[in-house]
Amino acid sequence: MVPTSFYLTLSAVVFTIGAIGVMVRRNAIVVFMCIELMLNAVNLSFVALSRSTGNLHGQVAVFFVMVVAAAEAAVGLAIIIAFFRSKHSVETTDASELNL
Amino acid sequence: MTYIFLLLALVMVASALAVVTLHNPLHSALALILNLLTVAALFAALDAHFLAAVQIIVYAGAIMVLVVFLLMLLNIKTEKPKPMGKFLFVLSAAVGVSFLALCIPAFNEAFRIFPDPVHELEGTVKAMGRILYTEYVFPFEAASVLILAAIVGAVMLAKRSYSKGSGHGSN
Repeated sequence: MVPTSFYLTLSAVVFTIGAIGVMVRRNAIVVFMCIELMLNAVNLSFVALSRSTGNLHGQVAVFFVMVVAAAEAAVGLAIIIAFFRSKHSVETTDASELNL
Repeated sequence: MTYIFLLLALVMVASALAVVTLHNPLHSALALILNLLTVAALFAALDAHFLAAVQIIVYAGAIMVLVVFLLMLLNIKTEKPKPMGKFLFVLSAAVGVSFLALCIPAFNEAFRIFPDPVHELEGTVKAMGRILYTEYVFPFEAASVLILAAIVGAVMLAKRSYSKGSGHGSN
């Protein structure tokens, strides 16, 4: 069997790549995809620990994370559409109207 | 088994890097679909069969179709490189590496109490259905309310406002 620590390390690496993507990229849709990447990395560690402890509560947590991610996708993409309609751009640097 | 895991881990990290580094957002989306499929394969390897199916149907299916549809609808060109970009990239990479250097030993220390999996988790689809409808039935129903609210919110945000100028707030 693959040790649990392998899964946790893989999860940490992918989470970090996603976090760097959120910091580096300026396209709002790519930032959104990087957030999905981070959510998936955390899901993987949930499932690995659930398998390790032999109960299903971690998998139920992943199920609810997926539900919330689906809701977040619907609302987030709608916000991106509304932003594109007013600015004709999805660059996060163009969303600067609240800057003083 | 370990070789399959290492192969999947390699594909997963490579596709995650591709999501972050590719300039065309559509290529990023395709790399993300590959990443989600490898996560589904790892779920299946961890005996989470129900979650593997849901991962493919909901994530790689529904959510990524939505993202690709939006990318094609808005017809977004590749983002323009900025002079600040390179410095920011190096800084972020340094932050990421130091974060990993901190948290991987911490993970392996903190989770040592969890054993490596030895016993089987049997019949996870049946078991997941049972636990969702008994112990977690209230969060399950609350999730349906959340999705309903998200649908209404998405429609409200994305529709054009009927009264331009004289409406409340937007436009």
